[in-house]
Amino acid sequence: MAMGDIAFLLLIFFVILARAQDDSHLEWKPAETPDLEQARHAKASIVIDKDNKTYLNGQATGHSQLAGELEELLGNAPVGKRTVLLKVNKDATAVFFEPVIEAVSEAGGDLYHILEQKKDE
Amino acid sequence: MKFKKAKLLIEPPHSAMSDIAFILIVFFLVCASVQPDRGRSQIIPKSEEKEEKKEQSENVEVKLSRTAAFVNGEPVSSAMFLPKMQALLSEKTKEADRVVVVKSKGDTPYHHWISITGMIEKAGGIITLQLEEEREVMTD
Repeated sequence: MAMGDIAFLLLIFFVILARAQDDSHLEWKPAETPDLEQARHAKASIVIDKDNKTYLNGQATGHSQLAGELEELLGNAPVGKRTVLLKVNKDATAVFFEPVIEAVSEAGGDLYHILEQKKDE
Repeated sequence: MKFKKAKLLIEPPHSAMSDIAFILIVFFLVCASVQPDRGRSQIIPKSEEKEEKKEQSENVEVKLSRTAAFVNGEPVSSAMFLPKMQALLSEKTKEADRVVVVKSKGDTPYHHWISITGMIEKAGGIITLQLEEEREVMTD
């Protein structure tokens, strides 16, 4: 009986720990595109949610500090292993997403847009 | 007088409770973690070289507004955008000439931007963003 309880508590502990870095709680709708490819393993994930707020690895951030934070995360990783996932709500405007793209470029990240398969009309 | 004996409730074994809870948690975790992980990579060169600014007039310039796209100042419909870009970039052999400068108005939605930049890349263009000066100040 005790073993089951311990396993249960451990599981809860790891779930909470994982969610601190996770961005699955953020609400955003991906834009559609006809051609998609599988994402590579990413060093960082940026979300611009439906309220146009920017998050880096699930933590709220501002445009001005984003490039610095990304540089720190990417470190000295070689080219090809500097993937940054960009999850932008499809209705977000250029005022919000262009500075983020610029910051990824400044930090030397490999930009990867997360999108959805375009449905046939 | 005989009374009918009521059937006793059989309690499930307590040891199974934690197993049920464990399986339920795993089930909800799997349901919650279904997130999109497919998309498109994009190469955006660093925009630091000031010398290249002189040559920008030779590069194709795409302006984006909320619903429209302009190629070198000329409005182009979504259906005609890809053939237009292919025609413009097919003559350019040097990589530097294939740079396409993308300028977006502040109200350009992401779905429109991603569709247009996708077509530029499909036509063989290399995207460079040009941000408006005043926008860089107001981003935070």
